[in-house]
Amino acid sequence: MKFLYVLSLVCLAVTGCATTAVEPIAGHQPLALHDDEKRIWARSAEEEKVLLKSGLVYEDAALQAYVNGVAQRLQPPEVLDQVPFKILLLKNSYLNAFAYPNGMVFVHTGIVARMENEAQLAALLAHEMTHTTYRHALSSFRDIKNKTAALSTMSVVLMGFGGIGTLASALGTIGTLASVSGYSRQLETEADIEGLKLVVQAGYDPEEAKCIFTLLKKEVEEEKIREPFFFGSHPRLQERIDNYDALLNGEYKDRKGGVKNEEIFITMTYQLVLDNAVLDLRAGRFSSAERAAQKILKTKPDDKKAYYLLGETARQRGQQDDTVKAISSFEKAIALDSSYPDPYKSLGLVRLKMGEKPEAKKLFESYLALQKDAPDRAYVEAYIRECSKKEAP
Amino acid sequence: MQQKRGAVKKFILFVMVVLLVGCATWKWTRVGGFHSSDSESYSVELPDGWMQAPSGDYLLITKDGVALQNIVIEKRGVDADLANTKKKLKKDMLPQEAAEVILDGVSSNPANLNFELLENHPATISGLPGFKAVLAYKTKGGLKIKAVYYGVLAGESFYGLYYRAAQRYYFDKDAETFEKVVQSFKLVKT
Repeated sequence: MKFLYVLSLVCLAVTGCATTAVEPIAGHQPLALHDDEKRIWARSAEEEKVLLKSGLVYEDAALQAYVNGVAQRLQPPEVLDQVPFKILLLKNSYLNAFAYPNGMVFVHTGIVARMENEAQLAALLAHEMTHTTYRHALSSFRDIKNKTAALSTMSVVLMGFGGIGTLASALGTIGTLASVSGYSRQLETEADIEGLKLVVQAGYDPEEAKCIFTLLKKEVEEEKIREPFFFGSHPRLQERIDNYDALLNGEYKDRKGGVKNEEIFITMTYQLVLDNAVLDLRAGRFSSAERAAQKILKTKPDDKKAYYLLGETARQRGQQDDTVKAISSFEKAIALDSSYPDPYKSLGLVRLKMGEKPEAKKLFESYLALQKDAPDRAYVEAYIRECSKKEAP
Repeated sequence: MQQKRGAVKKFILFVMVVLLVGCATWKWTRVGGFHSSDSESYSVELPDGWMQAPSGDYLLITKDGVALQNIVIEKRGVDADLANTKKKLKKDMLPQEAAEVILDGVSSNPANLNFELLENHPATISGLPGFKAVLAYKTKGGLKIKAVYYGVLAGESFYGLYYRAAQRYYFDKDAETFEKVVQSFKLVKT
């Protein structure tokens, strides 16, 4: 499968290397879409509809407004008049972000959850928005001589990634091109250069552009992440780091510092980090979930939900020392808020498995008392009955 | 160069295998009544007139077409990898914990859009404590699916009995049939 993957990437790279020059959208003259570009925009709108109805959009109006505010600051008003940029977050823990040619940009919660500040978010958005303003989808589609064959090969390759292949097909042709293979090296480099220009013009610290990709690369390496998405791919991340390195040591070598907006970013993304950690936990990415909980605790050392998450990660992973870790985390969560039901049940499960039935029973009873409409009441009542059974002599 | 040639040969071989497999006719068989599988260590009463898919890994039957409704009975080792989650089942898991792992796999599948867990409670399967979950999701094509998942851990194995059907019309039509299948399911000691 790896062989096929490499082969198809080579095929795509070969067909996508030559670029057809297209004028970027700069707002200086009226925007006139080419005929084939109109079709790409129409197709994009269709693909976006599928995503919007998929239930995958992360609903948080305040965060949505915040992220879009960051995006708006990156582009001059004359460009915004021509491209109706809209950033939407998708509930997905994979490291991914992609832009449609008509200005719709999708960012996975997974990538935002790993960020440390607003400047890093701005760098990612600027890169993606440049794909739109520089009309990279149009150039690429013109270059791929046999689009059907190339994209069919990609579908076959992605089948090896199970659900990701299905997601990629749900994205549609344009979404797949933007999020999975990315554009040619030349176009991606253009997005780095022009994107960083936008970041600097908006007053953000350009160093953070490199930081976010270094951070992602570190996680990809440490977690041995094997994702087909552009930002989950080690070589593609290295390309970004190399490009930003060159820019920061060249054109921007005297440009030090700038806005980071760490505090507001952490506040705005707090719930997203927690929600994304739950997705990581469901997918069995225990280290990522644990890292998210610890990230929250760094800034909010008394966060009951982060302790609960930490405890759940340990309980569900069930490796050496995890029982001790789980107990300690659940106890801290309860100590921080004795009316918070979830840790009672989880701690009860740990105690039940340790054979400490009287303690477990008390915890389950507390859980049901606090959570009158517990969706798992039938299970918990069964545990209580189990705990009440007299041991055979 | 030689390595490259080897890789090309491998690719051609792969394509040929795919084509050959694609050409072979897979035979569906009509089922009904008592069915037992020594290798899977269970017996079950299957509904009359349903068709069984030619799959070696699990039992899949349908009446009107797999996309419209299907019943699956599978046995898997507790150590076996699950699709869409790195979590694993463990033989000492409580039914709720096993349900959590199985449902996390289903809800993490990006193909299952608008996933919704409607019910999740204990159930007895072949006299053993297990779980029953009712869930709903939408396919990429927009078809609303409703499903019932029963699961039970027995030693080193996990048994899953699943009923998935188009929510509209088909789900209700055969839900009772599936419940009868579950009630008839017996683990056989080998």
